[in-house]
Parts: sequence; structure tokens; C-alpha cells
Amino acid sequence: MMNSMSNTVEKLKRIVNNLDITKVDEREIKLELPNEQVLPTLLALKEDGYSHLSLITAVDWIDEGKFELVYILYSWDNGGKFLITTKINRDTPKFVTVKHMWPIARYYERELHEFFGIKFEGNNDMRPLFLEMWDDMPPLRKDFDPFEYSKRKFPDREYQKDVIHEAKIIRGDIDG
Amino acid sequence: MGEVKLFFGPNHPGMHGNFSVHMYVEGDTVEKARPLPGFLHRGFEKLMERRLWYQNLALIPRICVPEPDINEACYAMAVEKIAKIDVPERAQWIRMIVLELARIASHLMSFPGIGGTIGLYTSSFWGVSDRDRILDIFESLTGARVYHMYIIPGGVRKDLTPKIQDLIFNTLNYIEERLGEYETLIFKNRIVHTRLKGIALLDKETALELGVTGVGLRATGVPYDIRKVDSYLFYDKVDFEVPTATEGDAYARVYLKYLEIYQSIKIIRQCLEKMPEGKINVPISEGNALRYRVPKGQAYVHIESTRGEYGYYMVSDGGEKPYRVAVRGASYPQTFIGIEKYLPGTRIEDVPIWLSTMDVCAPEVDR
Amino acid sequence: MANKSIPKKEFFAPIKAWKYIFKKPVTIKVPYVKREAAERYRGFHINDWNECIGCGTCAKICPTDAIRMVEVDDLPHEYGKKPQRPVIDYGRCSFCAMCVDICTTGSLKMTREYVHVSPEPEDFIFAPTEKGIHGIEDVPVGWIRDEGSDLLELERVEMEMIEGEGRSKSFIEYVKGYSKEQAMHEAARCVECALCTDRCPQHMQIPEYIKAIWRDDLTDALKWLLKGNEENNMLGANPFSAVCGRVCTHKCEEACSLGNRGEAIAIRWLKRYIVDNVPEYDKVLEARPENKGKKVAIVGSGPAGLSAAYFLATMGYDVEVFESLSRPGGVMRYGIPSYRLPDEALDKDIAFIQALGVKIHVGVSVGKDIPLQKLKNEFDAVFVSTGFTLGRSTGIPGTEHEDVIQALPLLREIRDYLRGEGPKPKIPKSLVVIGGGNVAMDVARSMARLQIMEYGKVDVKVTSLERTYEEMPADMDEIEEGAEEGVKFYPGWGPVRIVIKNDKVRGIELKKCLQVFDENRRFNPKFDENERQTLEAEMVVEAIGQAPDYSYLPEDLKEKLEFVRGRILTNEYRQTSVKWLFAGGDIVNGPDIIHGVADGYWAARGIDEFLTKGVK
Repeated sequence: MMNSMSNTVEKLKRIVNNLDITKVDEREIKLELPNEQVLPTLLALKEDGYSHLSLITAVDWIDEGKFELVYILYSWDNGGKFLITTKINRDTPKFVTVKHMWPIARYYERELHEFFGIKFEGNNDMRPLFLEMWDDMPPLRKDFDPFEYSKRKFPDREYQKDVIHEAKIIRGDIDG
Repeated sequence: MGEVKLFFGPNHPGMHGNFSVHMYVEGDTVEKARPLPGFLHRGFEKLMERRLWYQNLALIPRICVPEPDINEACYAMAVEKIAKIDVPERAQWIRMIVLELARIASHLMSFPGIGGTIGLYTSSFWGVSDRDRILDIFESLTGARVYHMYIIPGGVRKDLTPKIQDLIFNTLNYIEERLGEYETLIFKNRIVHTRLKGIALLDKETALELGVTGVGLRATGVPYDIRKVDSYLFYDKVDFEVPTATEGDAYARVYLKYLEIYQSIKIIRQCLEKMPEGKINVPISEGNALRYRVPKGQAYVHIESTRGEYGYYMVSDGGEKPYRVAVRGASYPQTFIGIEKYLPGTRIEDVPIWLSTMDVCAPEVDR
Repeated sequence: MANKSIPKKEFFAPIKAWKYIFKKPVTIKVPYVKREAAERYRGFHINDWNECIGCGTCAKICPTDAIRMVEVDDLPHEYGKKPQRPVIDYGRCSFCAMCVDICTTGSLKMTREYVHVSPEPEDFIFAPTEKGIHGIEDVPVGWIRDEGSDLLELERVEMEMIEGEGRSKSFIEYVKGYSKEQAMHEAARCVECALCTDRCPQHMQIPEYIKAIWRDDLTDALKWLLKGNEENNMLGANPFSAVCGRVCTHKCEEACSLGNRGEAIAIRWLKRYIVDNVPEYDKVLEARPENKGKKVAIVGSGPAGLSAAYFLATMGYDVEVFESLSRPGGVMRYGIPSYRLPDEALDKDIAFIQALGVKIHVGVSVGKDIPLQKLKNEFDAVFVSTGFTLGRSTGIPGTEHEDVIQALPLLREIRDYLRGEGPKPKIPKSLVVIGGGNVAMDVARSMARLQIMEYGKVDVKVTSLERTYEEMPADMDEIEEGAEEGVKFYPGWGPVRIVIKNDKVRGIELKKCLQVFDENRRFNPKFDENERQTLEAEMVVEAIGQAPDYSYLPEDLKEKLEFVRGRILTNEYRQTSVKWLFAGGDIVNGPDIIHGVADGYWAARGIDEFLTKGVK
């Protein structure tokens, strides 16, 4: 990894014990943290130049019974990226907000609530954002089956035409 | 007279997309604004989890209508990053050509947007017709005009033949010549000056705090461009500049787009020159496309799109389908926080200019 | 803050735009002007119905589910083809051309035709033909698959083998088998069209077990081998997977859709990979069936007999097998040389069948030691699969000499010798083998090995009526590998007489063969009597085919049975015209192990039906 990034990692080691580091590539590092270490780490990274919040998202590890929250921080100074992840309980998905650090986080969190059902303490604006009149489980959970949902909601339509017969006419096998 | 609630949009996709803003107005000034997305939500992230790695190619360009290639490149590069695949050099150069052509096409497409909002329809017609010339190149190269499905994990699908090189070369000359006329038509135009200068202001601190990227940020004097800062493909091997402005207004943003077209032309010319012969793709996994697998892992790939940082966060569990793909739409920050916080105070007739020049793009936000 | 200066109005500037009034417009008048699409355009499809094999791979890759395979009734039913063609719903199609890039034959292409207007919602589904969807002659072709865009992997994962020189020195199995990585890679090439399943006489569930290999779930793979389709009467199960994984005639690979443009999947080697890599495979068959209290006797322990025993045992019958030789296995034990099929592989399969409770009596010759009638009385049904055990002779002068011998007894002798259970066979310094089939190859290659071990050099000549290697019924691999091992080939010659001097075989005189089959594809050789040559040899082996030995059948029974060209006629359940007697293997169908397994399977189902209905 780049020098400046390893410096940052060294700094983080001072505030976080047993840092779980995965080097994705030269300029990308994934840190998997326990819940309570996430906010201090984010703050430290923000102060260290990784101030651009690219994305907050989540991954549903249904077999483990966990949601993995992912914060992607980017530095405009050196082009380095930190993926800060933490796993939360899937049954009572709850975490704390970071909207005071990045205003846009408010909307990312609202989106995660809508698509995964994750609540963020300190962020009360959890109105639906994209979906209208949604009446099923949060759709990005792995156990939601969109195919089954659309079968239930929307009628199927079958073609009546005998296409093979038509194709045979085109081929000249039979007269039209 | 009390407060009036005004609905802006959902509008035509060719403008700023199927996107709605609820505004509470006092006189002709916006007091409060609330973004209302979701009209274009198609559930791409979920759909991708349910298709094979290769099949997703037909899906991803459709996420963002003006910039299909950005999506393809993000997807392909994320897969390659997880699977640690070395893409043949020629394919990388071809990708750069495609991405820069896409940038030109998208910027040209933004002139109709500007034209529509201020009533200068000539620029609309010009932008559309000249973009069609770029689409002609795409048609020859990829077999389709808008959704190319051309950049695949592992490389590109078909080679760039000398005949298509000539076509690109000639078209670039034509576009360059035309740009002079755009300058006269748009940027020396008194209407444009009156309507765009000093409108939809965004200062540097706000832009950085919001996380605005792309021309929105560069118009405030910050020369941040992912192609330079976190270089991908061979952008570090070509010579180009990142145009910036200090005004932070609508005019500056539009003008930067115009200047970027020149830079893109410059990049493509260098690519055509530097591109070596060779293979154009490698399989991402053994076997046939029905059985492609990507090893366990995750990666975040971002690309400088015409509206800023466009990113894919991809997770693979080693299976034949992506486990999770999250898409960062480039205009997400300005669309939500921007509208909510910075649209108030704008006059009603300036709202379309604000949305259009801030590149609010519904498809990439809704996904 | 912002620069509010407004540029001065230019007088001439607006006029510049006016020049476009005299220029050619950018727009065109559709539909009066037709715009030609680009060369690679991804427009509507064309599909050459004569080339298309109906494999359905296009439907599998289609990301929008736009392609359905639809049966076409009057297409011919051929091996390696399915009577179905793709039907494309253009309401769903995204024109991505993946179907074109993955097409196993190259029949599917895209055209530069892109206009289709119809107010009818019904009018957007088509089965593309050679003339596209609109029936236009010479539709300009657009997107076609090329090397760069191909989505299939056409080359087979190479199988490691001991090379020619090294392998001819011993009878050790020379095909090494796939490693895990190799097998998974090879399995990843399969497109699951199941053309192989249609072709396999036993209809083994090949795509399922290949997919299981790809998923690295060998227990599941083995289940598909040993139990077949459990929902459908174990259709496709094969108790001789270790054997077939080595020496099957693999008709499936001839049908493989990948073979159209590249190399077929190595189905046989993949099967072998499964059985070689699951250590205790009797555990897969955990269910012990309810005993039905009925007994079945089986005569002959070849592939058909033991397969029937296996399937009957899984149904809950008591099965006893009678074998005249000292070891079970029939042709698998005594016919095929051990460098192709080592005893261990066969023992593994047989031990598994015995573990199900099947009793095998060896050294009991039905007809001599125990009459067939006795079996009839003691058992509820009898299955005979006695095989083709007698050799055929060319009948030319001199064949009565003791150094002119038959292929099968010789192969049996060699295997007994190598196992340490018999005397050393006579190893001649020079040998001529008559015949162009796999048995001839087995004799030639076995003898070549013995000659190397004995004298250090090979002198084996194979002569056949067939004039080319392609015409010879032997597998091409066998011929090529034989040649590598030092065997010389003389195709296109017919035997005239054995040259005998001083009561010793000195060689064989041959005449040129001009044709083997006549225009009606019937065996009818023609010779040029003037063109002759003599091959020197101390010994001549005749390997021109085998015949059945029905001496164990009582005369009254023989009269009731129907024979067609030496084979017993049965119904589809391998039941003969004598209700309690079922038959299979070479004496019914032939010609290889997998057909024998299929006979055993159908006979078991037939016997089950016969016995459960209670008619005896």
C-alpha cells in the first residue's frame, strides 16, 4: 500500500485494538471493525484527509445472521480509499448515525432503512425514499424474492401466436 | 397570500430525468424544497444479484441513460479487481477511447438540457445532432447506439478496426470544428450570460462538505478529478488538463463541460496513437460464460463520470452471481442535500437551471 | 462574486448560424429514406435451422429470458440434435448478442435489420429462420461471433498420460486421471444441453454429475452416477461407473454440443474422476429397500448380469449370480487389457454390488454344473447374459494350426498370467492380428507389451479389410496409441492363407481389398486377386468378431425363443418369449458395456413388474 496510507493505518492502530486489515489493492484498504470502533475510526480518517464519503451501503450475510455496514471513505489528496465495515445483528438491525459528520449520510441511512430495514439512532427521518406503497419486507434482504413478488403482483401474459408455423412459412417448408 | 406548494416534475427523461421536487414558494422565491425520487427505481442492485456475472452486462448500461459505458467500466473493473485479472493493454486503451467518447456524448447531451431550461433551443438541436455522430461511432464499434454492452469483465467484446479508427478520427475533427460555433452560439450569447451567470451558486466549502464531485466541484476552483487523483486505465499515461473555474455558478459549470470536450478529444487522439496491437479480452474465469465464477472478495471501483464520482461496491461470495453490488450515483449528494438545503432562495425560473447544471440525474440516483 | 459582465453583441454572430439553411439536413425522412445499420449491428436474429441443433444454450444465457425453446414436430430425431428451435420474444430481447456469442454451432447470428413496426402486441414473438424474422432473402448479417467474443471454451483440459515409449513397457494403467483443478475446469465447459443423456444407452444424468463436479460436491456427483434420477426409477444409474469412467465407448462425447465447434467435454474422464475420488462410496446408497421375498437368478457376471443384479438388489430382491470362470466381471475382467482397466477399478464396482447382498457363485457353469431348468425351479425369474464368448474364424486354409489362435482366449490367458493365476502365454517374436476393431487393438497392444518385456522389441502387425483408419471400427485413440507403442498397421487387405513351412507358421498371405461395404451398406468385400503380399509372423491371431454360445439352453427352450441374426429377441423390458426368462448384454443388444448396463437396468424393471404382478 502507499506510504501515506500505511501512515494512516499506523495512526489507527493507536485507537483501535486488533485491526483487521484486508488490502484490496495499492490504494484500497478494507478494515473490519467491532461496532463501537466505527465512529472513532471514521472520525480519525476524516481528520486525516479521507474526508470524502463515497458511499454508505450494506451487505446481507443471511447465513451468518448479520448485516455488514460499509462506509467508503476517499481522500482527494492521495486517491486512497478506506472501506470501513462492521457487522450488526440481522434480527434487530440497529446502528448509530453519522449524519453529523457527513450531511449526505442522512439519505444513505434512510435508503438503508428502506432497503434493508436498518435503523440508525439519531436519524429520525426514516420515511420511505424510493419505494411507493411498499408492502413487503425490505427488498434488498437476501430472503426477498422479487420474482415471486412480481408473479404475485403483476399478471402474466402469454402469446397466442403459432410462431413455429409462421417460421415454416418463412422458410418455405409450407405454404402460407 | 399564504404558502403555495409547487410540483416540479417528474419531467421528461431527456432533461434532468424523471425526478420531482416539491417546492413551497413565497412569491417567486422557493422557501422550502423537498426532493422526491423513485420514479425511475428499477431495483438494479437486486436484479444484479439474481443474474450470472456475464448476464449482468445487459443490465448495467441501463442504470444511467446518458452514461451506459461508465457503468460497464465500473462493473468490469470491479470484477477484475476482485478476481485479480490482468486486462490486455489494447483493451485498456480501447476502454479509454470508449469512455472519453461517452463523455463527449454526454456533455453534448447536456447542451439540450441547458438550452431547454433557458429557451435557447438551437443548442438543443445542435447538441442532439452532434451527439448522434458519436453514437454512429458506437454503432460501428459496438453494434448498438445507446446501450453498448461492450466493456466486459476481462476486456472488450470486439476489436477496434482501422476503419473505425478513421471514423473516430474524422468525427473528432468535425466535433472540434463545431465546438468553435458552440462558443459563439452559447458562451458569447447575451441570453446565456444573463441567465446563467451568478445563478445556482455553490461555493467550495459547501461543495466539499456535501461531497459534490465532478464539474460541480471543479467550478468552485478545486481541481479534483479521479482520472488524475486515483488514476485508472492508462489515464496516467496520457497528457490532459483538468479545467477549473472559480465562479461556482451555472455558467462556469456549463463552460467546464465545454472545455472538457476538448480534453477528451485530446485524450482519444493520444489513445489512438499509443494503442498497441494484441488481444482484446481474457476470460474472467475458466469454462463458458454460464459458469463464470469470481473468487470471494470485495472491491470499490470509482470512475470520473461527466457528473463526478460514479462508483460500484461489489461483493462476491465465490459464486456464479454477484453477492451484492451497490451503485453510487454521481449526483446523489447534490440531488438530496443540495435540493433540500441549497435550492431554497432560488427563484422559480432558476430551479431548472439549478437542477440541470448541478447534473441532477434521476436514473443513477433511483437505480 | 461572480463575473457579471455581459459580452458585447456581435453583429455577425447570428448570421453564422444561418449558413445551415443551405446545408444538407442532419435528419432523414423515415420511412422514405432507409438508413443502413453498421456492420456489427445487433439487429433481429437469423437462425440457420439446418445448422441449429436445438441445444438451448442461447435460452440459458439470455439475460432477459427472451428465448424459449419450442418443439418442432417434423424435425428429424437424430443423436446430437434436439427437435426444437429458439423462439425469441422481442418484447423482452435486449439485443445484447450473448446468444450469438455462445451458440454452440454458429447457426444463430444477428442482422442489420432493425425496423419492426406493428400495432399488434402479438406480433413481437418470432422463431428466427435463415431468412430472419421477416422472410427477406439475403438479410445483411450484422453481429457475428468471432474469436474474441466467443463465450465457450472450446479446448478440452488435457489428460495426462504416460507417453508411448514408457507405457508399452508395462501393463500399468497409462491414463492418469484428472486432478481436482483439472476436473473442475473441464466441468466448467459444459453447457448442460443434455444431448449426451439422450445419446447414452443408459441415459446417464451426465449434466447433473458434471455440474456437481463443478460445484465440488462429489458425493452429489456420485449419487447421480449410482442412483440416477431417483424420482424416475433410478433412470441413468450405472453401477459400473469406475469401469465406464475408463473404457466406455463414450457415445455421449460424440453427441456433445461443444463438439460442433470445438472438443467435446471429456465426460468419460470426469466420471472416472468422481469414482476415483470418493473413498467409500457404498455409503452413498444409504437406503436399504424392503425385502420383497423373491429370488432372481442371473447367468453370467458381465456388465449386463451384474447391472441387473445391482438394480434388482436395490429393489429388494434376493439375487444370485452364476459365473463359469473363476472371477466375476466377464468381458471387463477377461476381455479388456489391464492397462486400460485395472482389476482394482473393477473390484471396486463389484464389491459395491456385493455389499448390497448380491451373491456371486464363481466357477459354476450353467448348463454343465447346474441345468438351467433347475434355476427356473428354484428362482422366481432368470436373467441370462452369457455374452459372446466364441471366436469367429476367417476360415482360410491353415487356420487349424495351433499357432493360429482366437483373440478372446488369448486375452483371457494374458490377464490370468498377469494376475499370477495362469501360465505364461506363448509370446511370438512376430505376430499378425487380423481385424480392425477394438479387440484387435487390445490383442496387438497387449502382445506388444509382452514382446517388450520378453524380447525388448515389438513386432506386431495389424491387418484389416477396412482401407482407412476412419473406416476401422476401432477408436481412433486406440489406433494412434497403438502406433505410438510400435504396432504396425496394414489396412485394406484380406487374408488368403496362412503360410506354413515345416509345420510352423511363417506368415500370412494377403490380397488387396477394394471395398468392404456395398452401396446398400451391407458387408460385401471385393478384392483385387492380383495384388498380394505376405506378412511374416510366427503367430496369427484372429480378431474378426465373436459369437454366442447357447449350449446351456435346453432344446425345448431354444425352440420357444426367437433369434434374430444370432441374438435373442426380447421386448423393451428384455423379456423373452418365455415369460420367466429375461436376457441382456451381447446376446441381445451389444456391442459394449454401457449397452449391457442399460439391458441390466431395463431387465430389472421388467423382472420387477413381472414378479410384482404375480404371474409366473
